[in-house]
Formats: sequence, structure tokens, C-alpha cells
Amino acid sequence: MTGHERAGGSKPPGRFLSGQRSPDHARPVSGSAPSWAGRRIGIGAALGRVALVLALAFGGLALGAGYWQVVESQNLSTSGDDAAVIAAARNVLRGEIFDRDGVRLAWNKRDKNDEPYRVYADNSLSGVVGYASRQFGTAGLENAWNAQLSGVVSADPLRELTRKFRADPSDPESLKTTLVLQLQKAAARALGRNRGAIVMLNPRTGEILAMVSTPTYDASAIADPSTATATFEALKDDNRTPLLPRATQGLYPPGSSFKIVTSMAALSTGAITPSTTYANQPAAETKGWLIDGFRVRDGHHPQTDGKALDYREAIEASCNIYFAETAVRTGSEALTDYATRDGFGAALPFDLPTAVSQVTNGGGSLPGGFKDRVELANAGYGQAEVLVTPLQMALVAATIANDGTLMRPHLVLETTGKSGTTTVDPSAIGQVVAPGIAHEIGAAMRLAVNGDLGRYFTYGAALQSMVVAGKTGTAELGPKQEPHSWFIGFAPYDDPQVAIAVLVEHSGGGDVRASPIAGNLLRAWRNWANG
Amino acid sequence: MNAASATRGLRAVGREARRIRITPRFRGRELTLLLVVSLALLAGNVSLGATRLIQAAQEAGQQPPADLLVLASPGLLTIYIAALFLVHAALVLAGRRTDQILLPTMGLLGGIGLLLMIRLPQDLAGRLGGLAQTQLLWLVIGLTIVAGLAVAVRNDVWLRRYKYTWAAVGVALLLATFVFGRDINGARLSLTIGPFSGQPSELLKVILVLFLAGYLSENRPLLVDESTKIGPFRLPPLPYLAPMAAMWAIALGIVIVQRDLGAALLFFAVFLLLLYVSTARFSFVVLGLVAFVVGAGLLYFVFDHVRTRVDIWVDPFADPNGAGYQVVQALHAFARGGLIGTGLGAGLPSVGGRPPIPALHTDFPFAALGEELGLVGILAVLGLYLVLVERGLRIASAAQDEFRAILAAGLSLVIGVQAFIIAAGNLKLIPLTGITLPFVSYGGSSLLANSLIVGMLIALSERTREPLPPPRPPGRFRRLLDRGAA
Repeated sequence: MTGHERAGGSKPPGRFLSGQRSPDHARPVSGSAPSWAGRRIGIGAALGRVALVLALAFGGLALGAGYWQVVESQNLSTSGDDAAVIAAARNVLRGEIFDRDGVRLAWNKRDKNDEPYRVYADNSLSGVVGYASRQFGTAGLENAWNAQLSGVVSADPLRELTRKFRADPSDPESLKTTLVLQLQKAAARALGRNRGAIVMLNPRTGEILAMVSTPTYDASAIADPSTATATFEALKDDNRTPLLPRATQGLYPPGSSFKIVTSMAALSTGAITPSTTYANQPAAETKGWLIDGFRVRDGHHPQTDGKALDYREAIEASCNIYFAETAVRTGSEALTDYATRDGFGAALPFDLPTAVSQVTNGGGSLPGGFKDRVELANAGYGQAEVLVTPLQMALVAATIANDGTLMRPHLVLETTGKSGTTTVDPSAIGQVVAPGIAHEIGAAMRLAVNGDLGRYFTYGAALQSMVVAGKTGTAELGPKQEPHSWFIGFAPYDDPQVAIAVLVEHSGGGDVRASPIAGNLLRAWRNWANG
Repeated sequence: MNAASATRGLRAVGREARRIRITPRFRGRELTLLLVVSLALLAGNVSLGATRLIQAAQEAGQQPPADLLVLASPGLLTIYIAALFLVHAALVLAGRRTDQILLPTMGLLGGIGLLLMIRLPQDLAGRLGGLAQTQLLWLVIGLTIVAGLAVAVRNDVWLRRYKYTWAAVGVALLLATFVFGRDINGARLSLTIGPFSGQPSELLKVILVLFLAGYLSENRPLLVDESTKIGPFRLPPLPYLAPMAAMWAIALGIVIVQRDLGAALLFFAVFLLLLYVSTARFSFVVLGLVAFVVGAGLLYFVFDHVRTRVDIWVDPFADPNGAGYQVVQALHAFARGGLIGTGLGAGLPSVGGRPPIPALHTDFPFAALGEELGLVGILAVLGLYLVLVERGLRIASAAQDEFRAILAAGLSLVIGVQAFIIAAGNLKLIPLTGITLPFVSYGGSSLLANSLIVGMLIALSERTREPLPPPRPPGRFRRLLDRGAA
């Protein structure tokens, strides 16, 4: 496409190729070079480029196919929407679900067409075990472990690899969960008609002992084909949102229970020591602590005699000004950093999908995304833009209980199928704070439940039979709404075996609702643990 | 039907023999490749047969039998392979020095499609005994067309002389579909005349390439040299913009009236590619792309069905059981297949007795292959299309003149681009459009049109020493255009 082409174009009569063709046309072909070779002006190069473009496009197809068939293969082919999973679920008897003591939580019945459907032991399980329904899909554990329960994939990667080559690839596995049915029931009973959530776990292993969300619902009625539609429609339209698993998906301001997270960051970075006091704190109780034009208000602590509180006393009396000043002194970066280490800022590595807990909305100019120091000060005692799930707060308590190490929370102990049993071993997410720091915070939490100052705020959480450590929270929601009440804690203090988070929506201060519920449940745990 | 194809082929050979001296010519490469293709199809059929035996035993609660070496449907496969070899025989007897790769490549793609149709529930479509038998009938007719064209087409005067006639036929077809077409799934794709029904857009794509080859080869120097320069861009001389604008308008019209996004995309892409091939002007392509973006934007905001398609593409998982159902299920099918696939017959779990994707045999065969043959399998299938295109472009670059070059390039690009559009739609790389996967999808119109293409490509590939036809004096329409340009 060069000289020849230009020449052709410059001669007006020759601008049609036909004009140029004629001499060749008359000449007979001779020799090895085709006589018409000279006439193919530049098409070869353009063809090459077109071929290249098409080859690249097909390369894109290969990459796309690789993405869906390799990268996303496992995710998609084990999800509840997968046709193979659905087909298997229709015909195969799902594996049963048990609690940690072998009590049946979910099993199968057959309808009049001899097709199986699910039955559940108790409504208190609805927020964690969920449901498996032919019409409405799956939720909770039934969703997360659907592939194993319906036998489409195995929890064991080695067995999974050879699955395609076996004659009968379907092998439903039963689940032995970490749950304790009697604690589930006790938690649902304790919350009663309140909306809320309770999470209890073993801080040493991360095994969830109880996970309840209220209002509960009757999952068996969703699974039973004869009642499914009516039940599900009613639940969907219920404005109390019973289908929301609050323990993992509900986001709430944590109030003062967040002071434990502030403590982790402040003590670890050395921003404060246990003996740190703020001289202006007693006076600020009455007129508020002024920061950048904003006054952090606090109730007066009548029993403190106007004395500047040290760290343990500040936790015991739940002093907002102390933690507002501490947060500012710690800095936004360290606060965000320690919260992130303890699970904030990302979905938790858990069996069920979790909402992301946050310390700030992000996007602000301070490191970590805080808008300004006022937001940071308010976040220090769990207000501002801090939002948490009950599971996240249970993990905060568990971190303190487990000497500063956060264990991965999990719901399944083992899966058992035709070809054997696979065990899920406890694993650590990481060391969040040093053991010494965790013990200091734990000691303050013990005082908050048992100290002369603290026990007024945590009425009902202290037990005769064992020493409980904990922290309440009252999440202010503005003048129009009753605050959410929180309690997070662990027991026994000397050798922590259980960590707990209790959230009761719109129920007043932590001392009003959450503390006695926590005490009640810790007593139930003790009864269970003692057999 | 098999014997018929053979005799028809032979008769064609006989007619030719009266005019030109014919010596049979051995086609060793084609024969070898056809043997490989037959073996591959045989292996696929045995695999399908074994899977079915195992499944049947499982359903009956028995142990699968020890001897699993059974053909799933020996009759259909034998007929198909025999037809392939008869076409080969016809080409050998015709003795032309033509391409030997195209037939085996098409044969393998068609065979894979046939295997898929054997594997799917037979009542999905088809008037004969079922899906597979109907598909086989069309495949055999298609192979007959390939043989007929490859043997008989020696002169292309009738193709190049009547380009505006071809254009008129195309527009008439389009109009007929507008007026008499039947709506299927909201798209007006099919035209029924008496007992016959078909998708005109499949034939239209061949006609389009014919017209473009004629038009572009004739106006090539003009398009290249007399371009108007605006800033850094070169525009074609303005009177020559008219047919291009018409192309653009036709593509838009197809979307608006037929609601056939796939065909419109195919036509426009092939048009742009051929424009580039004939002029090597990148700025024309840019211009075309700008027109495309403007048109696409316009359609998106004006037409619901376009917006729906795009929205599904952006996030099919937003409504996985409603609008996004087919796309999501296709992605699941790819995912289930993984690297090596489930094996023929072992994938595509049926829910309530139906395959998971309703339009599996027409719009989603690529997803079906992705599941049952795995990533390895579909990479091979994609490779086959690239081979087809490579052969076509090679034929184009060796062609005697621009008309033949653009024709060969256009014909092969139609197949390549069409395969890309539907495969990319299945893989959620572009919005899904209802267009067939050449040679694999179920459907007569598609198979016939693509067979026309392969037949013509084989005919065009002959290394001939015949003189070219004499140049044609400019016609009346052409003189009008010249006056406009002057």
C-alpha cells in the first residue's frame, strides 16, 4: 500500500482499479510468480492486523472462560443457586445437623410425593441454622454448608478432587456443629419478645456455643411445602424483620462496650498506661470536655468524689470523657489499626456471611478515614460512626479472654459422610494485643462487673458461682429512640471458658436489659458445663 | 439423504467434466484430518454411551455393567461421518486444488454440535424424530451445499456483477421479516413461507458480505485516496459515506424492528472489519466505532429490551431467578465444568426433568460444551474457529483480486465474529445476544448459511490460472455516484 496505491490515486482516469488491471488481464500467466500479485494493494497487511485483533478477542474469550471455569469454579458450583446443587437437594436426603452433644437440630421428613423436606428442632435455631426450602432456597448454615449437606462437594479437598471419577458422586454429609441446643433455647427465652441477638463462644477455640437472633421464626414451616409460601410471605412482610440474622448481619452502634477496643489500641501503643489520669476529667463531667468546638458530655459519676479516674476506674465507671481523651491521644490510625486486627473493616472469616463492622465511615482526612478529632473522640466511647455486629463484639470479649489472641469463629466441628469424617480444627486469626495488655483490660472488666463502682452499672451480670468480667454499653440513638443495650464479657475470670455478647434493641441502658440476660446465660452455661 | 448428497455431488462433477478436463486429485491432508475427526467423534460418542449406561444403572439401583464400550447413537454418527467422507470423495473427484483444512474443521465443529444434540433431551425442538435427527438432516444438507459449491463454483462473475441486486435481495429479505416475521421471545427473527421457516438474518449475513465485497473492491482506491481530511481524521469522500450510513441505519433497524441485537452487532462488526481490510484506514474504523457508540447509547436510552440486556449483563446476579436466570445458569455451567469438564452426558443437571438453561441448544451450546468438555474442550472449540478464520484470511491474502480477497476475508470473519459474539455473551464478557454458535447450535438456517460460507471459501481457495473476468463498465448507479464525487 504505498507507491503503487498513491500512483493509482494520482491519475484521475486510473482511480478505478479496473483501469490498472487491464494490461495484466490480457497477458497470459507465465513463470512462478502469479501475475496478479502486484495488484493486491496493501490488503495483506490489513488482513494481518484484522487477524491479530480477532486472535486477541479470542484470547479474551479464553481468559474469560478461565475465570469462570477455574478462578470462580468452586464458588459458583457450590452455591445454593447452582442447578446441580438444587437438583441434588431435591432428590437426595440432606445430611442431618447436630449440636455439639449429638442432639439433632435438623433432619428430614417425606411429603406425600415421597420427596424429602426439612424439620428443625427449635425456633431458637432460626438465626443460625437457617432453613432449606424447595421453594425459597437456603439460609444460614443450611446455605453456607449446602453443598456438603446435599452431597455435591465434600469438605475434604482430596475427596473433592476424586469426586468426578466416582460412580456415585453424591455423598451428603452430616454436620456436627459447635452449638449447644439448651443454650440456644435459654438465649431465645432470655431475649423473649425483645429484638436482639446473643453470641456465646469458647474464646480458646473460637467455637460458637450459642448464636441467637430474635424475633425467631419457625424454619420447619418454611421447609414444609404445604406451609412454605404462607409462612415465608408473612415473614418477609413482618416489619420486625425476623429473617434478618441479627448476630451476624445486624449493625448497631456499640456504645461503651467499644471502650474495650479503644483500650486495646491505647494501652498497646503506650498512649496511656493503667495509671494515666486526666486532670480536667472531673470538672468536664459537669460542663463537658471541649474539643475543637464540640463538647463531649458525660453523666456525673456520683461515687468518684471528684477524683480523676485512672484506667481501671474509668472502665469501671464507664467514663466517656476518659475514653474520648484517650482516643484523641491514641490517634485515629492506631485505633483503626487495632480494630482491624480484631476483625473490623472486613467480613469476618466465618461460616455465615457477616456484615462489616466499622469504626468510621471512612473518606475523612485523618489517617484511618476519620473526618476530624471530634469524630475520633466520640468513636472512643463507641458513638459517632462506629457500627458493629453482635458477633464482632463477642470476638472483642473473646480476644481479651484468650490472652489477646483472636481465634477464628466457627460453627462446625466435623462433617461425616459415607467416606469418612472431616474435622474442622481451631485456628488463630492472630495476636491482637500482648497477653499483658489483655490481662490489664480483663482486670478492668472484672471490676466493671464486681467492683464497688461498676456493679451498679452491670446489675445482674455478677454471679455467685463464678467471677464474671464484662463491659456494658448503651448505644445512644438520638432523642427520639430508646438506646440499644449491650453487654460483652467472659467467665470464669481466672480461666475464661466462655465469652458472650448480648444486644437488646431499643431497651434502655446496658444495666437495664443486657446485663441480667448475660448473667442468666452465663449461669445456664455453667449448668451445661458442669453437666 | 446420505446417498442423495453423494449423487448430487457426483452429478455436479459430471456437468463440470463436460466443459473442463477433470483429473481426480488426491487430498491427503484432508483425508488424514477427516480420519482424526472421525476418531474424535467416535471417542465422544463412546464416552456419552458409557455415561448413559452408568446413569441408567444408578437410577435402577444396580452396579454399572463392566462393558461400557457402547456408542450412544451409532446410526446418526455413521451417517454423519459417511457424509463427510462423501464430500471428501466429491472434492477428490473434482480434482481442484482447493483448501483441505476447511472441511475437516467444519466437520469436527458440526460433529461436536451433533454429539451435543444427541445428548440433550430430544423433545427440545425438531420436527423429525427429535433434536439430533433434525440437526443431522440439516448437517447433511449443509455438507451437500459445501460439496456443490466447492465443486461447481469456478466463475465469480455472477457474484461480483450483481452487487446491488444482492443488496436489494438483502433489503427485501429484511423488509419481508419486518412485515411477515413471527415474534419469538420478543425478537422478530423468523420468517415463514409455506412449510418453510427460517431466520433470514443468517442468509442476510452472506448477502451482506457479497455486497460489501463488490462495493468495497470497486470503490477501494477512491475511499483510500480521496478522503476528506478533518483534523487528524480522514473521512471517506462524502458521497461514499452514504452506503456506510445506510449500513449503520440497517444495523439500527435490525435492532429496532427485529430486536435482533446479535445480528446487528455481527453485521456492523463485519462491515467495519471489511472497511478496514479494503482501505487500511484506521480512522474509518474510529469513525465507525464512534457511530456505534452513539447508536448503542441511543438504543440503550430509548429501547427497553436493549436496556434490559445491558442491565442483565452488568449484574445478572441481581435477579438470578428472573431476568438474569439464563446468564447466571450459563456461568454456573462453566463453573461446574471446571478445567476438564464433567464428560459428555454427565453435566447439565436437570431440574424437574429439564436442562438448567432453556435455550441450551440454540443460544447456549458454548456453555453446555464448557460444562461437559471443560475449559480444555472449549479452548479446543475456540481454536477450531480460529483455524477457520485463519484459512479464510489466508485464502483472502492469496486471492487474485480485491473482490475475491474481501469476499474470502468477509466470509471467514462472519464465522469468527459470530462465534465470538455468542461465546462472549455466554461468558458474560459482552451483553448476551440471541445468535447461533456457527456449526454447533441447533438450527437449519444457521447451518445452511455457514455451509454456504465454507463451500464458497473452498471454491475461492483454488489456485487457478484462469484469466480474470473482464472489467465491468460502470453502471448507471455508479455513474450517479461519480457525479456526486466530482
